[in-house]
Amino acid sequence: MRREPVRQLFARLTTLLGSESANLELKWMKQAHVTSTFPTDLSTMLERRLRGEPLQYILGTTPFGPLELLTRSPTLIPRPETEDWTMRLANVISPTSNRPISILDICTGSGCIPLLLCHLWPPGSTRAYGVDISPAAIRLSIDNAAKCEIPAPTHISERFSRNTFLPVLHDIFDADFWTSLHPPFDVVTSNPPYIPHHEYEQLPASVKDHEDPKALLGDPPGSSNQDGLSFYEHIAFLIGQKGILKDNGVVALEVGQGQADAVEKILHKTSGLRKTEIWKDPWDKHRVVVGYA
Amino acid sequence: MSSPEDITRARQIKDLQPLHDAWVQWTHTRESLQETLPLLADTDPAMRALASEEYNSLTSTLTSHVQEIFPQLLVPPSTTQHLSAMMELKSGVGGSEASLFLADLLRVYTRYANVNRWKTQIVASNQTDGGGLKDAIVEVKGDGAYDALRWESGVHRVQRVPATEASGRTHTSTVAVIVLPLAEEPEKMNCDDDLFSMEDVKIEVMRARGAGGQHVNKTESAVRLTHIPTGITVSMQDERSQHQNKRRAFQVLRSRLMDIKITKDIENRRTTRRNLVRTADRSEKIRTYNYAQDRVTDHRIGLSLMNLASFMEGDGVQDFLDALKRNHDEDVMEEMIADID
Ligand SMILES: C[S@@+](CC[C@H](N)C(=O)[O-])C[C@H]1O[C@@H](n2cnc3c(N)ncnc32)[C@H](O)[C@@H]1O
Repeated sequence: MRREPVRQLFARLTTLLGSESANLELKWMKQAHVTSTFPTDLSTMLERRLRGEPLQYILGTTPFGPLELLTRSPTLIPRPETEDWTMRLANVISPTSNRPISILDICTGSGCIPLLLCHLWPPGSTRAYGVDISPAAIRLSIDNAAKCEIPAPTHISERFSRNTFLPVLHDIFDADFWTSLHPPFDVVTSNPPYIPHHEYEQLPASVKDHEDPKALLGDPPGSSNQDGLSFYEHIAFLIGQKGILKDNGVVALEVGQGQADAVEKILHKTSGLRKTEIWKDPWDKHRVVVGYA
Repeated sequence: MSSPEDITRARQIKDLQPLHDAWVQWTHTRESLQETLPLLADTDPAMRALASEEYNSLTSTLTSHVQEIFPQLLVPPSTTQHLSAMMELKSGVGGSEASLFLADLLRVYTRYANVNRWKTQIVASNQTDGGGLKDAIVEVKGDGAYDALRWESGVHRVQRVPATEASGRTHTSTVAVIVLPLAEEPEKMNCDDDLFSMEDVKIEVMRARGAGGQHVNKTESAVRLTHIPTGITVSMQDERSQHQNKRRAFQVLRSRLMDIKITKDIENRRTTRRNLVRTADRSEKIRTYNYAQDRVTDHRIGLSLMNLASFMEGDGVQDFLDALKRNHDEDVMEEMIADID
C-alpha cells in the first residue's frame, strides 16, 4: 500500500481540527517522537489521529498537574477538569506527617486523582486507596504509581515515611465492598461514570470509539435511574454507612454538566451530609460537589 | 553549604572587586613614583635614564587612572546585573522573509548565550510553513544575561534577497525584539509576590469545551492571564499541560511587571537629575542588516560592521554589545558630571 506523505496527512488534520490546533498537535507528536522509546513514526501518528483516535492514546501519556501519566486504551484519559479540582482539593486539605490521613478514590481508572494528591501532599502524610472494576485500569494505575514513584503500602514505605497508593480490583456494587479496604477515611474522592444513555450516542467518536463504555455510562444495565446518577446514589449510600467517613471528613464527587444540584441533594438525603458546596471548573461549569461530615 | 546570606555577601565582595583593584594599583604606582623621583637626579647617567623611563610609564598609568579607570568606577553598579533575561521576538513587516530572519536572529542569540555559558530555553514559538518562526519567547538564564542583552530591544531591519525570490529583488523586513528581566521563579506558583497580588490576575482558559468532563477528550491547554491594574495579558498554549502553560504565563507576566518597575525606577531617579540618557524606545529601528553591502549598522551609535557572516555565524554581536555598553556608561558619567556642575 502506498502511504500518503506527511504534508498531505497534516493538511487533512488542519481541515479536521483547524490550523491552530493541528499545528500544536503536530508539534507535540514531533516531541513525543523524539523522546519516546517505542518506534512510532510521524505518519503513523497522523494516520491514527485522522481515524479519530485521541491524541493522548497516540502519544501514550497525558499531563496531570505536574505529573505525566501513562494513557492506554480503553482506560479513561484523565481530563483537565479533573486535574483542576484535584489541585484545588490539594490546597484545601493540608495533611502532615504528624497528622496523616487516609483517602479512598472510588472508580480510580488511571489512578490520576490519588496519585496527584500523594505527589502534592508532604511525604508520610497520605495513605491512598483506589478501587476500580476494570483489570486494565488497575494495571494502568499500578504502572502510573511506579512512574510517579508512589509505592504501595509496606512496612518499608512506612519506615521511610512515604505517601502510599494501593489499587484494589473490586465492583463497588458488590455487597462485600468494604472487606478489602480499611475504613474509616478522611477523604473520599470519585469521578464515577456519569453520562446518561441518551447522551452516549451523541459523544464524539474519539470518546465513544476509544474509551471504555463502562468508564462513561452512568447507569449500569438494569438500573432504574436513567439520568446518569446511579453511581452517585450508590456512593452516597456507601459513605452514609457508619464508620466509613471520619468526623470532619471530606467527600469530593465530580459531576457531569447539569448534574450538580441533583448530586448535592443525593448527598444530603442518602449520606446525611448537611454541609455541601459546588465547585466550578475553569470553563465555568458546575463540576464538583463537595460534602463535609 | 552556602546560605542566602553567604551568597549575597559573596556577590557584594565580587561587586567591590574592581574598586579594590583600582585603588591598590593606584597606591602602588604612587609609591613607586616616590621611589623613582630621587633617582632622576642620580650621578650615574645610566641610572638616570632608567629612572626617567620608569617615571614616564608610571605617570601615564596614573593619568589613565584619573581619566578612565576612576570615572568608570563612578558608573553606579547596575541594579540588574545578576538577572537572567527573557527575549520576545516578533516578526514585523515582510511576511515569511521576516519569519526566516527571526529564526536567524534567534540562532545568533542562542550562540551568544552558549559562549557566555548561559542556558537558553525556547518557551514558546510559532513556526511558519516555510521553516521560519512567526514569533518566539526564549529564556536566557545566567548571571548578567539581562544586562548584556538588554541593548537588543528594538526593531531589527533586514535587507536581502529572499531565498524564495526568483527575480532577485531585495526585500526589507523587520523583527521586533524585546528583552525583559527574568524574575526567579517563586517556590509556589499562583500566589502573591512583590510584583503582583493574585487578586489582580484573571486566569482564563481559552476556547469552549462543550459539556466538558467525560464528554470530551480533546486537549485544551491554552490559558490567558490578565493583570487587571496594568491591562497586561499573556497567552500561552505551547504545552499540552494547562498547569505548565499557566506556570510559563506567570513567568512572562512577572518579567513584564519587573520591566515596568525597573523603567519606573530609572525615571524616578531621572526626575531628580537631568536626563541625558536616551530612553530606550522599543519601536525605534535600532539596527540594519544589509546583505547586498555585507554590513550591519547600529543606528543608535552609528557603528557599522563589515562582514555580515561574522555577525550571523560568529561573535560579531559581542562587538555591538560592548560598544553599546560603553556608550551607556559614558552617558551615565556625563549625566553625573552634569549634576555636579
Ligand atoms: C470516568 S472513569 C474515572 C477514572 C479516573 N478516576 C479519572 O478521573 O480519570 C470511571 C471509572 O470507573 C470504573 N468503574 C465502572 N464501574 C465500576 C464499578 N461497578 N465498580 C468500580 N469501578 C467501576 C471504570 O472502570 C472507570 O475506570
